[in-house]
Amino acid sequence: MSTRSEVIKHINLVGQLQPALHHPQHAPYPDAIDHNLYRAYLRSSHDVGGEPDVPIRWEEKEEELWELNTFATCECLAWRGVWNAEERRRRQNVDLGQTQYLGLPYYGRWLLTAARIMVDKQYVTLTELVNKIDEVKKRHEHKSPR
Amino acid sequence: MSTSHHDRSHHAKKATGKGDPQCFRGEAGPPKFKVGDRVRIKDLPDIFYTRCQVYTRGALCTVAALVYESPAAEDEAWDNTDKPEWFYSLIFRQKDLWPDYPDTYANDTVETELSERWLEKA
Repeated sequence: MSTRSEVIKHINLVGQLQPALHHPQHAPYPDAIDHNLYRAYLRSSHDVGGEPDVPIRWEEKEEELWELNTFATCECLAWRGVWNAEERRRRQNVDLGQTQYLGLPYYGRWLLTAARIMVDKQYVTLTELVNKIDEVKKRHEHKSPR
Repeated sequence: MSTSHHDRSHHAKKATGKGDPQCFRGEAGPPKFKVGDRVRIKDLPDIFYTRCQVYTRGALCTVAALVYESPAAEDEAWDNTDKPEWFYSLIFRQKDLWPDYPDTYANDTVETELSERWLEKA
């Protein structure tokens, strides 16, 4: 994301990802949130059992290399005591929030969560992580243009 | 960067050679319920994290088995492993969970595991 027009495109796309509540919900006053709405907001996003939904098409798909690498990385983090399986699930299924939980691919959530815990538990600083991602992006810019 | 004083290998030390949840065996105390008991799922506040499905809250079910002792998901998700609880396998009638479940399938059940904190005597 480098140009202003790309920035505006990004902001418009984020707007489309907002949960589809049918009335504006930005920064409500406290009396606008009753107990039912409070509970709906606080619910764990992975607890989808019983929600009205439509059938989704099931497809056979083999894991891609980056997905296998992500799984191995997360297992190594557990093996080295950085997290246990339940903390990993909390972070990748609930802490992300509903929009990312429903919107990102399964192993995308694993990978994002692995990066997040390294920052949260101070194994790397966010500054180091951001600079590294920037460096890698620049290195690959010509190889895989988006 | 500050360093953590938390022993991040505490769980590996405990589980090595035993496995998890076997490493918590004998730490939960006597179980409150036994196989065949009728219990109801409590509707505890569930902010931040839980594995107790909302669709089970307030529903009646039957204890099918005592499965293992382990920290509850709500504790383990923050690496608190010092208060293991009994886990129970529980059988619900689908009719008791879903108001519109068809009578044709009145004998359908669903089985799930929950920790003891979620159960009360029916």
